[in-house]
Amino acid sequence: MDLSPREVVPTAQGRKRKRPWLAMSVLGLVLVGGGVMVVMFLNNAVDYYCNVDEVGVKDGCDVGRNIRIQGVVQEGSVEQTAAEYSFVIAYNGKEMPISVGSQPSGIFQECIPVVVRGQAVDEGDGVVFLGDEVIVKHDNEYDAENADRLEQSNAEAAACSQKG
Amino acid sequence: MTPTPTPSPGRTTDARPTGTRFTRVLGAAVLLGLAWLVLFGLFLSPNDEKQKAGVRILYIHVPTAWLAYLAFIVTGIASAAYLFKRTRSLTWDRIAGASAEIGVLFMGITLVTGSLWGRISWGIFWTWDSRLTTTAFLFVTYIGYLAVRNLGGTHQQRARRSAIIALLAVLEVPLVHFSVKWWRPLHQQESVAEGKLSGLMLFSLFVGLIAFTLLYVWLLLHRQRVLAMEDALDDQGLDVALAERRAEGAQV
Repeated sequence: MDLSPREVVPTAQGRKRKRPWLAMSVLGLVLVGGGVMVVMFLNNAVDYYCNVDEVGVKDGCDVGRNIRIQGVVQEGSVEQTAAEYSFVIAYNGKEMPISVGSQPSGIFQECIPVVVRGQAVDEGDGVVFLGDEVIVKHDNEYDAENADRLEQSNAEAAACSQKG
Repeated sequence: MTPTPTPSPGRTTDARPTGTRFTRVLGAAVLLGLAWLVLFGLFLSPNDEKQKAGVRILYIHVPTAWLAYLAFIVTGIASAAYLFKRTRSLTWDRIAGASAEIGVLFMGITLVTGSLWGRISWGIFWTWDSRLTTTAFLFVTYIGYLAVRNLGGTHQQRARRSAIIALLAVLEVPLVHFSVKWWRPLHQQESVAEGKLSGLMLFSLFVGLIAFTLLYVWLLLHRQRVLAMEDALDDQGLDVALAERRAEGAQV
């Protein structure tokens, strides 16, 4: 058996040794990051996600409790004053007036589904939802912007009050 | 005493390129595909009625998400192939590692484009919605997987421990995919499967899918070859160390 040293290529030592401390640090950050994500998700889920017709009916969707409410913005209901921005959302034939501090961003418009985070408050003459945050919830349908579709679009807008 | 040859970092005597005729043709196809994606995504496809030009993010966001799923599934399959005795080979481990790296890159692009899209359409960059949270969790899981691959040890030790993690991590992929059905998310439901996308919009998405698939294959081929070279370099370094010890022993 030939035990003589093999001929060595004089370049092979150039590679740096791996740094396990770097990998361990990343792993630590990943574990912390994963934990934070789970906590944030659960915190978010604490506020029940309710449809308009479930407010005051379904467990967890009580008036006076922080919830997220989903519905479609009704045509002609959007009003803006110096103090507030208000509109009405509907779902399954039930309506809920919404009041928020400022104009929602994104593609907020009439006849679009939104999710509002806040609290339903009974003001004596009816329940109003005081929103802290409005998020537009666009559906999964995509339609090309086209002048030919204007009539159809107008018809859909007119019918949006019955949607939801 | 014979002087030890001075190593020259970065040089190898076995300096093979990672490209072949096939990967060069594939690379050209990737460039062509991406050029088509720019043409259709930015110029030929129409605006959406509600989202206007913001819809164009779809042509990057969705293909990179799908390709990230595919990359993580390939990592899972290659890891299973490594653990299976009959097919055990470090090549499977390197394919798994390379695919995971590309998957993390694509998933990162998905998260960034999704966040920008969210700001345009929802009005916010981020919310702890089920789809967004599970996607971010999948992303950090595979960063963890890549960190585990770099913890040290022999190639076989690396391959075994990372294969086990990959088989567990791939279970998150269906969790992410079905999160829009299992919870009430802000994120929209599926569009393509439900036929809610058509015409040039659907075609542009298809172009994006083809372009990113070709890019994935091209990156995978190159990256797993680079990983093979890195392993060979590690082995060669070990050979040098052994040869030095033998030389020292011979002089005593």
